[in-house]
Amino acid sequence: MKKRSDYRSTFYSRIENFVNGRDEFLLYRPQGDLEAKQLESLEEELTEAADLLEKKEAQQRVQDMTEPLDFLKKFHKLYGMIAAIICAMLMLLLLVTVSWLPPFGHPDNPADNEVIKRYIENGQQETGAVNIVTGLILNYRGFDTMGETHVLFIAASCVMILLLIAEGEEKKSSYAFDRYMEPKNDIIIQKVANFLVPVVFVFGIYVILNGHLSPGGGFSGGAILGAGMILHVSAFGFKKTEKFFNEHVYKVAKVSALCFYVSCLSYYFYMGAHGLDNHIPLGTPGNIISSGLILLINIFVGTEVACTMYAFYALFRKGGL
Amino acid sequence: MEWVRFVAAVICLLFAAVMEAIAVYGVYKFGFVMNRMHAAAIGDTLALLLGALGLIILKGFSWFSLKMALVVVLLWLTSSISSHVIMRMEHSIDEESIDLDTIKM
Repeated sequence: MKKRSDYRSTFYSRIENFVNGRDEFLLYRPQGDLEAKQLESLEEELTEAADLLEKKEAQQRVQDMTEPLDFLKKFHKLYGMIAAIICAMLMLLLLVTVSWLPPFGHPDNPADNEVIKRYIENGQQETGAVNIVTGLILNYRGFDTMGETHVLFIAASCVMILLLIAEGEEKKSSYAFDRYMEPKNDIIIQKVANFLVPVVFVFGIYVILNGHLSPGGGFSGGAILGAGMILHVSAFGFKKTEKFFNEHVYKVAKVSALCFYVSCLSYYFYMGAHGLDNHIPLGTPGNIISSGLILLINIFVGTEVACTMYAFYALFRKGGL
Repeated sequence: MEWVRFVAAVICLLFAAVMEAIAVYGVYKFGFVMNRMHAAAIGDTLALLLGALGLIILKGFSWFSLKMALVVVLLWLTSSISSHVIMRMEHSIDEESIDLDTIKM
């Protein structure tokens, strides 16, 4: 990953500067940063002085506020009363709304239309999945699920932009100050993690692979896998987890899973848009290898979700994978 | 025989409910972290065991009861470990936690 300062000295950045009129094309010299540094140090001193002044003023204000004001007391009383009234109104409104809802399971409900009938009657023949929910979200509504997976990818990328530490010295110190207050190498949690982590991994893989046969699927199985990895990190630390899951593995697994997922779905879209037959055999419902592309899509979604969960944990804890 | 089983199951479930109520009361009554953890552990261990036992007795011995037993084993492992970790954290962070004077009701 490239830092901004690395980028600044490349050829393309000089072209960009030249195009934007910020810098001379060929006269760029990195020594020119010296003056900028002096200016920066001057600015820092000024801001420090201003911070000190602000702190003093804030302290004075806090000391003034130690005696509770009269109108503050009144305001707190009024605030509590208004909050209680608003809560009661909201509860009343929601209860009235609930009492007007149609009864559960009634045949005349607006939710019981031809769409539900189609899913229940033809779902297993058309998708090959015994679990109708998986067949529904990965086949009939595959576009929606693709958007959800992209949302996960974008969310992880945004957290990376905000929290990822790319600098050399800060990265070292992030290792050193990781679990600064926390007890390290706790023998009890390590013994239990030795037993639990394989069980959690096997269960997560089972949930992903059995997504089209029983309740479960890519999202829930991926969440279980991610939780197993988080348990491994909190028991053994980052050095041991990085032996099987580091930044490189994360990049490859996540991007390739998303690409394969999109290619699987675009096959569906292409075939459907042109009115062509689906040539992927659905197999006999109930077998592990059946239901066409749903099994593959489940595996890709599971990889994506597991990577995202672990990346969130690692980024918020250490600022890097 | 049938109603003996039913009565035993109901007694177990009632005890579980009582234990859970004691745990919730303790969590809100005590002020200090370790006291609260002690109260919460009652709900995590005894109430869980009694509730699962009641359901197993009610349903009879089958795959269902085996799964319930597995749930109890896994939750006993994980909840006790998590409270152990929280306690170590508290002990290493809080400077006053070793001082016995702060442990009050």
